[in-house]
Amino acid sequence: MSGVNLSGIVKSYGAVQVVHGIDLDVAEKEFVVLVGPSGCGKSTTLRMIAGLEEITAGDLTIDDKRMNRIAPKDRDVAMVFQNYALYPHLNVADNMAFGLRIRKMPKAEIQTTIADVAEILGLTDYLERRPADLSGGQRQRVAMGRAIVRHPKVFLFDEPLSNLDAKLRTQMRAEIKRLHNRLGVTSVYVTHDQVEAMTLADRIVVMNDGRIEQIGTPMELFNDPANIFVAGFLGSPPMNMVNGVLTKNSAKIGATEVKLNGALANHVGREVVVGIRPEHVTLKASAKTSPLPITMDLVEPLGSEALLHARFGKQEMVFKAETKGDIAPLWNVDKVHVTTDLVKLFDAQTGQALNLRG
Amino acid sequence: MADKNLPTDGRFTRLFDHFKREWQIYAMLLPTIVWFIVFLYKPMYGLQIAFKDYSIFRGVAGSPWIGIEHFQTLFGNDQFLRAVSNTIKISALNLLFGFPAPIILALMFNEILHATYKRTAQTIVYLPHFISSVIIAGIVITAFSPTLGIVNIILGWFGLDSIYFLTQPQWFRPIFVGTGIWQEAGFGSIVFLAAIAGVNPSLYESAVVDGANRWQMMWKITIPSILPTILIMLIIRIGNVMEVSFELVILLYQPATYETADVVNTWIYRQGLQSGQYDLAAAGGLFNAVVAFVLVMTANTLSRRFSRTSLW
Repeated sequence: MSGVNLSGIVKSYGAVQVVHGIDLDVAEKEFVVLVGPSGCGKSTTLRMIAGLEEITAGDLTIDDKRMNRIAPKDRDVAMVFQNYALYPHLNVADNMAFGLRIRKMPKAEIQTTIADVAEILGLTDYLERRPADLSGGQRQRVAMGRAIVRHPKVFLFDEPLSNLDAKLRTQMRAEIKRLHNRLGVTSVYVTHDQVEAMTLADRIVVMNDGRIEQIGTPMELFNDPANIFVAGFLGSPPMNMVNGVLTKNSAKIGATEVKLNGALANHVGREVVVGIRPEHVTLKASAKTSPLPITMDLVEPLGSEALLHARFGKQEMVFKAETKGDIAPLWNVDKVHVTTDLVKLFDAQTGQALNLRG
Repeated sequence: MADKNLPTDGRFTRLFDHFKREWQIYAMLLPTIVWFIVFLYKPMYGLQIAFKDYSIFRGVAGSPWIGIEHFQTLFGNDQFLRAVSNTIKISALNLLFGFPAPIILALMFNEILHATYKRTAQTIVYLPHFISSVIIAGIVITAFSPTLGIVNIILGWFGLDSIYFLTQPQWFRPIFVGTGIWQEAGFGSIVFLAAIAGVNPSLYESAVVDGANRWQMMWKITIPSILPTILIMLIIRIGNVMEVSFELVILLYQPATYETADVVNTWIYRQGLQSGQYDLAAAGGLFNAVVAFVLVMTANTLSRRFSRTSLW
């Protein structure tokens, strides 16, 4: 089993603790994405797995072997860095061969391996070029190639796409996913980009302030966020949050009542945060919706749909609506209809998700 | 305000606008330009005395032209030819031992992980640079003194006879080159340390994950990464090949060691200032400058061709 297990992992710099006891199981061949805002400890966690940072407390095992005191080279991991970390004085072939030469792999075997991996990554024509003569996407491929030729048990990716432009990022994202499907190597991937996390991950680990907020598949996290942080972090635009109070069958926000299904009788008067995803509204009322009066501020057309920037009372909210080829009518929208089944409730004090509707 | 009478040439206008916009930067550059003009370019006017029978009473302009007579004298002068030979030999030794010394020192400093120890060691090796050459020469003369010198005392411990190092020609070059390394290697290492500091740290991290040890990282990452800096410094050094540390030679040599110690600059000093043959000395200086110019051009061209690194 080439899985990775983190148990109670803590990282401190002097008296400052930055990672506060992380527990995580990455199964063999699984693609796990650590996602979170800057400074949340995701890169530090990845670097502890790589052996580039010492683990202050807790246990790290790879392939069921404890790795805390094992040198990075003996962990059988390969890492792709944010800035590619390509040796500027070496050409593509030599960059990819670097780790193999260090490990004294026979020359002929190195050549075969490089040729094979270059073929996979579409780098065959660039093997003699130096990094300075490559585009950003090609450099990123070389960085991945250098990791792949090692045939490691675990791939570690530290924000590998963040230096690329949006178009290239989308393209490389798909390439990474295809590569993972083809090679089936256990991968831990760090990003602050929730779209990358959603599209690449078998499971996402949402981190905040050195702690794991939630672990789950992309759709689990999207549909059932464990708390306000996860709900606000995943989804673009983020979930609208508004304070409210529960009544017998609704959440009262200001003078408006958003109807809710389920047994709320025992929670009447409880203060909650009501979460409404931008896409969980319609412009037409139905039996499963509840109206929300708004004042339109701005309509941003995205093509087939538009972003409606509106105010609910004093609170700014964003909703998504279909354009049907014309955005002019959207400026006149004065209420949206919230799909009541999809409304999320969070405890106003703890921020944790509430499942009060059975 | 742009002058209405200025030509409407776009390039000129752009240049004018540029100066107007960036005048503060050019104002800051001015002292350096003035320094260059006063101390380096204006004296070039006097170079013509290398081709004249110069007399201080007739002045530079009034002295008669004599063509290349001084150069013929120079190349027929055994002492000058010996000085050229000594200069080349000392410079070659300096290049061979003195040039790599600061690089090695910088690489060694880079491997020291203990911050306090590193800072202390750096301060100790930088110090000799800030000591006057006169004091450095004094220390060397004392250290190699046949009676009280530490070197001869140590030789005595092994039952060896005292050697009066500074009067024996065969010892001058090793002592001179060694002194130069001691005085300048530490300070010279700063530029290489700065280059090392500029190496992307993730290159090392990547190498660590790939399994490289510190020795391999030094050879495969650090040295290739600072190679452009090494080449630039080498070109500059080659340009100064004929400029052997004049002060230190003057302070350490004596007639007994002229055979190996007398260099072009000390010969020029003796001819020009001590014997008053300014024209002959100017010819020697011009020869020095031409050789240095050819060397630096050659080194720069070779470096550009083979390593894509050059001064210009």
